Amino acid sequence: MSAETKTQTRYEYGGDEFVFVELSESMTLEAMFKGMAITNKLAEQNREGIIDICPGNASYMIRVDPEVLHPDELISVLKEIEASLTDYEETTIHSRLVDVPILFEDPWTYEALMKFRVNHQDPDSTDLEYSARINDFESKEELIQNINDFPFLVSMVGFVPGLPFSFQLTSQEKQIEVPKYVRPRTFTPERAFGFGGAFAVIYPVQGAGGYQLYGTAAAPILDVEQKLEDFKESMVYFRQSDILRYRSISMDEYERIRKEVEEGAFRYRTREMSFTPKDVMKNPEEFASKVMRRLYDDQR
Amino acid sequence: MINVKEPGLMTTVQDNGRNGYYSFGMPPSGAMDKYSFIVANLLVGNDENAAVLEATYLGPTLEFDCETTIAVTGGEIPPKLNGEPFGLWKPVHVEKGDVLSFNFVKSGTRVYIAVAGGIDVPIKMGSRSTYTLCGIGGFEGRALQKGDLLKTGEASNPPASTEITLSEELIPKYGNRHEIRVIMGLCSYRLTEESKKKFFDIEWTVTPDANRVGYRFKGEPLEFVEREQPFGAGSDPSNVTDLGYPIGSIQIPAGIEPIALLNDAVTGGGYATIATIISIDLFKMGQIKSNDKVKFIEVSLDEAIEARKELNGKLDKVKETIKTVSIGG
Amino acid sequence: MAEKIPVVSPIPGVFYRRESPDKDVYVNEGDEVKEGDVIGLVEVMKNFHEVTSTESGVVVSFSVENEAIIEAGQKVAIIEPK
Repeated sequence: MSAETKTQTRYEYGGDEFVFVELSESMTLEAMFKGMAITNKLAEQNREGIIDICPGNASYMIRVDPEVLHPDELISVLKEIEASLTDYEETTIHSRLVDVPILFEDPWTYEALMKFRVNHQDPDSTDLEYSARINDFESKEELIQNINDFPFLVSMVGFVPGLPFSFQLTSQEKQIEVPKYVRPRTFTPERAFGFGGAFAVIYPVQGAGGYQLYGTAAAPILDVEQKLEDFKESMVYFRQSDILRYRSISMDEYERIRKEVEEGAFRYRTREMSFTPKDVMKNPEEFASKVMRRLYDDQR
Repeated sequence: MINVKEPGLMTTVQDNGRNGYYSFGMPPSGAMDKYSFIVANLLVGNDENAAVLEATYLGPTLEFDCETTIAVTGGEIPPKLNGEPFGLWKPVHVEKGDVLSFNFVKSGTRVYIAVAGGIDVPIKMGSRSTYTLCGIGGFEGRALQKGDLLKTGEASNPPASTEITLSEELIPKYGNRHEIRVIMGLCSYRLTEESKKKFFDIEWTVTPDANRVGYRFKGEPLEFVEREQPFGAGSDPSNVTDLGYPIGSIQIPAGIEPIALLNDAVTGGGYATIATIISIDLFKMGQIKSNDKVKFIEVSLDEAIEARKELNGKLDKVKETIKTVSIGG
Repeated sequence: MAEKIPVVSPIPGVFYRRESPDKDVYVNEGDEVKEGDVIGLVEVMKNFHEVTSTESGVVVSFSVENEAIIEAGQKVAIIEPK
């Protein structure tokens, strides 16, 4: 691997229990895949003293018991792993493709975003209109179409339990990038679909938030009671390396899915797929269409 | 059973915390002041990690329906049994029908109420701690309410002698001005040199916006180095590409008011973090009130690890005292 | 004349004399209150705690302004018992 990227890596202490490693200041697929490879290798080592391994977007974080594993010792291990990563672009990633139904321009996020207009950079338009304009789309419909057309890779889970930060698999020129609210909202509805920086997210529970609001996900992404089949093993559904296709749905389909959720019958449509970072980085859009064919069994 | 007659302001079931799920976005929760929490358990003969009640500012009123031993530690929120004041940091025998209540807070913020056998609530993801934001763990995932009935478990050891007196040095004192040690780092490169200095020079005031998720401070605005924002970060100079937040990390959204993230923290987001409170001083944060003054002190990693050892030494002394008194008595 | 009794807040936070901005104040200076009557609210950690009178009597004066930041144990009003 290139020497330039290595010198950019910053190793920092997060108090005495955390080591924070920034691979890149800007969001890139390369940084994300690299972080994924490093954290996977560290996990395989099963080292004593490690409490949490948290892969991030363009960084990652490890929590330790510093009396068992000194953070300096961990940092030298991490540096070794990074130096040994000659082939991470070729490493196979086993991923899950998930169809995620979204009702865009729904009444609930619309009500929330109108209530917090004074916190926004452009109080006179909606979040979708504003985002479409600053990203040079002709209309908000075109922006929604773009989100529909290219799937997103989950690059980090966090903020609150289960919230997926997802990054669109398309060339950087076509990537949507939007600022966060000038002042965060004190309220965001449950399952709101939002966008901030280069990331699309779904808020698992209602709460504060600063991302632009575009819609609402029909199905839950956090199920504390673990009632739905998809949540039997974990109350959190998404994990890093999942590929999500945010599919625009009608109010009819939204209501149908809500009913399925209430009856406990809802299951996400998923398919398995293996790929290497190289497959994605070489031509993200070609990879995206492969994902779509696989997820919908070529029937689109 | 314990009958909650009055819940207090914010009383939750907490243990050592839900560790190992940070990568799911799940904060550890758990007792904020771990020292007081552990000592409370030791005094009643529990495992160090048994679940206790953590009450903030205003103690609950609890009625016990059977004979047991309790201990109250932490902030000076003076406890009473059937109206009679009794001392913190001591095991106390209670009879069936006894009522525990509290006077107004004198110093500190949180009391820990340990009951022999621990508070028995279901274990969720390895812990009994309450994470109220998502309704996970504790008693029905929430703070206690009037009329709740709490079960207790089996004690692993006999309680300490009620004759026990911990020495002065083992009982923390809480004032209104605090020094909190931090390790500089993470994204501190984003602050101007002048603002880094200012961060340590200012005596910060804790705002009323201070809870288990985090504490917000008032002081003076700080400035970030001007730059063209990297792709994915968002437009404000205090924004970075969304990343993980260590527990205890301090961020300054838009440079206005620093926020220190605590036990129920959000685990990541898009604000530059500039320093992290050392783990031992997170316990101290649990006893800091709104309006208190805080000065941040920069320390090295080795000093932080040394502080952990010192605290472990203190806990060893507590255990020693308990053992000596029970043998002597 | 009976001794004047201070009403103190058990918790620190922001003191409010009304339940919400569009409502009237709970009590005015000179008003009669009964023991247990709410005379203000204190907000801390996004929780609201009612401050109640410990005596029946007349509210002589408020010791702090509406929306003042107060300490735990701080006097917020004075009551003259009847």
